[in-house]
Amino acid sequence: MNRMSQSLVMVFLGGAVLRITLLSTTYLNYVKPGFHPFLVAAGAVVLALGVAGLIQEWRKPYLTEQEYAHRSHAGRGSHDDRHDARYDEHGEAVRHDAHENAHHDGHDHSRGPRVAWLLCLPVFAIFLIAPPALGAFAARSEEPPPRPPVTSDTYAPLADETVTAMPIGEFIGRAWADSTYSLTGKRVRLTGFVVPSKKKDRWYVTRIQLNCCAADGIPLKVAVLKAAQPPVDTWVEVTGTWVRPKSDKIPNGTVAPELVATDVTAIPRPVEPYE
Amino acid sequence: MPWIFAAVVVLLIAGHFVLTPLLAFPSLQTWATIFVAISVQALPFLVFGVLLSAAITAFVPASFWTRALPRHPYAAVPVAGAAGAVLPGCECASVPVASGLMARGVTPAAALAFLLASPAINPVVVVATAVAFPGQPMMAVARFVASLVVAVLVGWLWLRFGRSDWLRVPARTAPAGSRWQAFREAAQHDLLHAGGFLVVGALTAATLNVVVPRSLLTTVADVPVLSVVVLALLAVLLSICSEADAFVAASLTAFSPTARLAFLVVGPMVDLKLIALQMGTFGRAFAARFVPVTFVLAVLVSVAVGGLLL
Repeated sequence: MNRMSQSLVMVFLGGAVLRITLLSTTYLNYVKPGFHPFLVAAGAVVLALGVAGLIQEWRKPYLTEQEYAHRSHAGRGSHDDRHDARYDEHGEAVRHDAHENAHHDGHDHSRGPRVAWLLCLPVFAIFLIAPPALGAFAARSEEPPPRPPVTSDTYAPLADETVTAMPIGEFIGRAWADSTYSLTGKRVRLTGFVVPSKKKDRWYVTRIQLNCCAADGIPLKVAVLKAAQPPVDTWVEVTGTWVRPKSDKIPNGTVAPELVATDVTAIPRPVEPYE
Repeated sequence: MPWIFAAVVVLLIAGHFVLTPLLAFPSLQTWATIFVAISVQALPFLVFGVLLSAAITAFVPASFWTRALPRHPYAAVPVAGAAGAVLPGCECASVPVASGLMARGVTPAAALAFLLASPAINPVVVVATAVAFPGQPMMAVARFVASLVVAVLVGWLWLRFGRSDWLRVPARTAPAGSRWQAFREAAQHDLLHAGGFLVVGALTAATLNVVVPRSLLTTVADVPVLSVVVLALLAVLLSICSEADAFVAASLTAFSPTARLAFLVVGPMVDLKLIALQMGTFGRAFAARFVPVTFVLAVLVSVAVGGLLL
């Protein structure tokens, strides 16, 4: 990998990161919103390093690659030796003693590690596959959602007359961990996407909860009863009432909480796909 | 060269409109989302670590480290491990920093203790752990203690049994050219190198994440010893950033606290993307010995600390 390719890979990588953070909200498909400034900074640094490398290349058009390598080696010998001692172009360990180094002057020091070509893969994935937010495929398994990591024992009481919109995580928390059963008889509105169930009489309104990035996403599911199932992966707003389990003895986290729906409305995908 | 640049840009933009609709399989998309997520999420930490490492190489004189650390190597290991508490970052940042420390003459064993400890015991991770386990403050304490103990033990083991030809120690010459030039070149080289191996790890982790169903794991949750080993292996496979793994551990409610502690101790020290990074940075001979020893010690210490504190 010569200096030009190294710099180009960095320009592409930095550019792709800035493309999904500054020019769109695509990054929300992959990480939490709070990550935005760090991603912008990282993309800018990578892009700047790449551009600085390119400028340096273009300023030396009168030197061939081999001459440039030779000259830079002569000028900054000990520094380049440091690089040499660490890696050769295959990423393998190289050990030079002083004697070997004396014979090593013709080696092209501008070569970077070959493994760096792999950095093109995320760039290709971002532009060619354009990965969407995790959906029904990631939430497909029939196992119930795990307990939401943070549940509070003190939930504010809900309004009697109006419909309360709440995150699915809060709904599950109230259904499982609330000693006052504040959900009983109250109408609530949940927003999520449609995941089918193996059981005939229900489907799941689902939202994926992220803690850091999409690799640690946990699907939070609420079973919707008495409503026809919209197409899989449709985003919906479900209005309905919690079904209190017949027995308190079912341990939390074994069965998804249930909701009898009075209204199911399809909505466009929210900008922030995760909870 | 500029026309190659232009050609790739045109290809990417054209491909975006032509290929994307053809590649819309849910399984491929889910895989790609997780792959891109791991890569994108690790990038700021990697850049931070690489810049810090390049700064250490280019601007901090080697004499600083000999003065800052105890001269006796056995004493330097715990000091370097505890010093990991001040670097707020995850494991992606610690590999280039440890390599930069070695390049500046820090005893490899001490740099390794720092490498293992810093992703698990820094304030950000400790707070995240405490938040993820409300009402169980001992979990954060146990994680801190167990991680530091493992890091120091591995450092001492390396000091006692390690051979220098296993480890690709970066050479110790100071840069002779302009410092900024040295800084830029060191940063670019390390970023490309570590970034390439990060992609290897992200590819593996995303594949396993999609292929291995998590329900397979919960079936063994009740078996005492096996559950600890299974969660330790899960930590290796999932390769979750150490700043987020506590939330995942908290969601694995079927498992015992000790098994979840093993998940939290192993994850920042041994995982797929980290193995790829270490292999690339320190060499295969090193990773082949360092990774299994660290894994076994991390599991044993977690069981011991979990038995005492949880």
